[in-house]
Amino acid sequence: MSDRILGVIGVALAAFYIWQATLIQESFMSDPVGPKTFPIIIGVILGLSSIYFIIKPDPEPQWASFGRTMEVLFAAAVLFGYAYALPIGGFVLTTAITAMFLSWRLGAGPVQAAIAGATISVGIYVLFGLVLGLSLARGPWGF
Amino acid sequence: MSLRRLLVLALPLAFATATLSDRASAFEPSSTECIAPANPGGGWDFTCRQVGKTMQDLGFIPGTMKVTNLAGGSGGVAFAEVVNKRNDDNNLIVAASSATSSRLAQGAYPGGDMGQVRWLASVGADYGIIAVAKDSKFNTLPELFDAIKADPSSIAVSGGSAVGGWDHLKVLIAAKRAGIDKLRQIKYVAFEGGGEAVTQLLAGSVQAFSGDASEAKGFVDSGDIKVLAVLAPERLPGDFSKFPTAKEQGIDAVGANWRGFYAPGGMSDEAYDWWVETIGKTYKSDEWKKTMASNGLAPLDLQGEDFEKFVAESVAEIKELSQEIGIIK
Amino acid sequence: MDALSSLADGFAVALTFQNLLLALLGCFLGTIFGALPGLGPSNGVAILIPLAFTLGLPATPALILLTSVYYGAMYGGRISSILLNIPGDEPALMTTLDGYPMAQQGKAGEALALSGIASFVGSFFATWGLVFLAPQLVKVALLFGPAEYFALFTLAFATLGGIASRNQAKAAFSAALGVGIAMIGVDAQTGVPRFAFGEVHLYDGIDFLVAIVGLFAVSEVFIFLEHRGEEAHAEGASKLVNRVTAPLSMLRKTAGTMGRSTVLGFLAGVLPGAGASLGSFIAYSVEKRVSDRKGTFGKGDPRGVAAPEAGNNAAAGGALVPMLALGVPGSGTTAVLLAMLLALNITPGPLLFQSNPDVVWGLIAALFIGNIILLIMNIPLVSLFVRVLLVPPKYLMPAVAMIAFVGVYGISGSTFDLVVMVLFGLSGWLLRKLDVPLVPVILGVLLGGQMEVNLRRELTISNGDWSALVDSWLSITLWGLAIVGFILPIIVGSFFRTNVGKGRSRESDDPD
Repeated sequence: MSDRILGVIGVALAAFYIWQATLIQESFMSDPVGPKTFPIIIGVILGLSSIYFIIKPDPEPQWASFGRTMEVLFAAAVLFGYAYALPIGGFVLTTAITAMFLSWRLGAGPVQAAIAGATISVGIYVLFGLVLGLSLARGPWGF
Repeated sequence: MSLRRLLVLALPLAFATATLSDRASAFEPSSTECIAPANPGGGWDFTCRQVGKTMQDLGFIPGTMKVTNLAGGSGGVAFAEVVNKRNDDNNLIVAASSATSSRLAQGAYPGGDMGQVRWLASVGADYGIIAVAKDSKFNTLPELFDAIKADPSSIAVSGGSAVGGWDHLKVLIAAKRAGIDKLRQIKYVAFEGGGEAVTQLLAGSVQAFSGDASEAKGFVDSGDIKVLAVLAPERLPGDFSKFPTAKEQGIDAVGANWRGFYAPGGMSDEAYDWWVETIGKTYKSDEWKKTMASNGLAPLDLQGEDFEKFVAESVAEIKELSQEIGIIK
Repeated sequence: MDALSSLADGFAVALTFQNLLLALLGCFLGTIFGALPGLGPSNGVAILIPLAFTLGLPATPALILLTSVYYGAMYGGRISSILLNIPGDEPALMTTLDGYPMAQQGKAGEALALSGIASFVGSFFATWGLVFLAPQLVKVALLFGPAEYFALFTLAFATLGGIASRNQAKAAFSAALGVGIAMIGVDAQTGVPRFAFGEVHLYDGIDFLVAIVGLFAVSEVFIFLEHRGEEAHAEGASKLVNRVTAPLSMLRKTAGTMGRSTVLGFLAGVLPGAGASLGSFIAYSVEKRVSDRKGTFGKGDPRGVAAPEAGNNAAAGGALVPMLALGVPGSGTTAVLLAMLLALNITPGPLLFQSNPDVVWGLIAALFIGNIILLIMNIPLVSLFVRVLLVPPKYLMPAVAMIAFVGVYGISGSTFDLVVMVLFGLSGWLLRKLDVPLVPVILGVLLGGQMEVNLRRELTISNGDWSALVDSWLSITLWGLAIVGFILPIIVGSFFRTNVGKGRSRESDDPD
């Protein structure tokens, strides 16, 4: 069943992709192949392989329980949040919080997780920011 | 555009007058920063780092200049960042080149306009060349363009930038001045970088090459390629002095891939003047002359208003060309 | 021999205390950059350019430092591929296929030692190739026009079917996904944006590093989150084994593999439009085709570890040929090295070997030295690397994830890239659940754009005449190889094959 759903999503994706490809504005100085042809071919391959999943699905994979799926989605949300918070809150603080969260959710106790988060964050900052001079995000306190 | 530009220019002025009392003295740079709108290792990155290092060595700035890489959208991401978030930062400059002005001309920075930032100064230019393989039957630029005029499909020109990019535009500028009106029919094949484009010329895949003098130097020295014309106002110094300019051959075309800086639109006049003067001093230093020579940069000495005018003219010319070939409407 | 005496002069240049120290530093840092997901060879080199500037290094020492980083990263990429199933950089992608299964069978030490030796073999002979064959090889590079490159990339995609043997449709789906992603951004041949939805961040396309790190590193974190507390993922110590060298029998068994892969990788490296990723990819898929009789590839076959590592290191050496002799970078890393060369007032090109012999031969000597340092450094360090597996996932995975974020953000400074990376992480997690292989996605992203671009270049040159694609003996040969070697076997094979492949699980059977 899962493969069939993948197939349906794949066909939808392929259709969307091909539709978007036909919308690519053709500029006046087009080459013989043009910017649309290749994406359309790719869309067709994507669609055909998806149809194959619908016809011949693999055995059902082992899905995570609802709780664990939520766990993964929540972690993804935290990582999205991290991406946006990084330039605002600065590298050290946001990274420590994110690493602490991940460590906690992966099974560390709250204190262990806090220590791990702080160590990872400061360690990376020292290595990449101070030693190697990468421009990491500067927060209100400059780090 | 002019109204918006006026506003942009007027706003900081008003701001500066209002705060004149507590900023009586001239601008003092604190922690200076240069944004390179690309990943480390590219041309913009080198512009930031080399100018920053020269300024530091000469003692023009306190401490080192911080270089921030902000890649994306061929410079568009950095442009938007400066306009939207760093508009009144007096310590910030951004590396730019003809790629920046051609993107601006073609509207490739969404909502971007050259009047949203202040143009500081140039630090040199890399002039364009048009070349063919050493055994090619063409010996002058007019010969090549005559062949294109007669049958555009017979000549493919390779270059290191995308269609509508600088290497392409250079050919078009020259072709237009040579009296070719069907610019769209000129076959241009885009490669990744000048090196690959020259290699395909040597491999015989294409008939001509458009690039910068510096990227072709190795092959010019070895005699593998024949430079038909240099797109400079006068002959270049050094090894390239033996090649005629397009102008000498009756085609009045100049294609300078300049390097320089812009600053946030809200930069105070004191800071703007300080940066213009400092970049100008850096440009005239012996240290920078050495850097220019080793990077194959030819002189292009424009600061402040002159530079702004130069960029505006170049934007206008590219806009017109791009409309003509249909890249923009 | 002329080359040998020049090389001796080169050693005189390279063997100063300062240069040896720089080579050591470069090798060490390179190994680390290579091993850390998100920081590949090109970023490693780029990060160190400012350092070379601040130290005020002259041309030769600066180049020695940077190329040591380059070679070091080529060695280092395999470490996280084998231990964590996360490719440290794009050329180490193929090493995950057999390296990680070996680690799961408790053979992490052997896999690391073997791949270290394979890396040495690849880069050692590639450096000799650079000494003796550089001028001739330049002519090979000139044989490849757009039509030939297009055929070469077609060949690469044709071999994909051989790699993911379980479900060809899923491999095709995955590769199409990757190529589809590669189409995003401004089209170089017409200048129009494609699939960018007016988003300026998408105009330059999606960086393959973001895709790799997202699909492999971030999704690995999700997998650990999902399986927290379960037996199979709570291990660590159980995976660790005492053996930290490769047994002689294993070396003997893989000697042929290393030889073949070195030649293939080197040739792929020499072609400026191909690069190290293609080198390791071709090396792996050809090796599988040639020597995988029992279907053990993909399940921890040592040859599947030796092949891509010898291949990508040989390609790294090969890529220096067009860089030095033509001034054409064959990969992202050589592009950065090239920029550095230009900044140091050295003009690469046909005359470089004559005009700056001290730089070229000093550099080549430094490559030999760096290679030996890396071999010496990598063999004892294996016992240190495998200790990474002793770190409990609850501390290791957050660190890996954060390093991945830093690698991407520190280079591009872009929040947008981070968001895309997490999206890739989620997709990677889903695709893994559905048993869709991730390697073809990355190959699609890496090679798909090149494939299209070369097709369109050729047809622009030929004014739309499609027969131009097969009008040289070289392109005909490449097409023939693709069809006879890889496409026909799939069709013929699927005709005869019953459902043997079904129901096999990744961890189940032992290769021997």
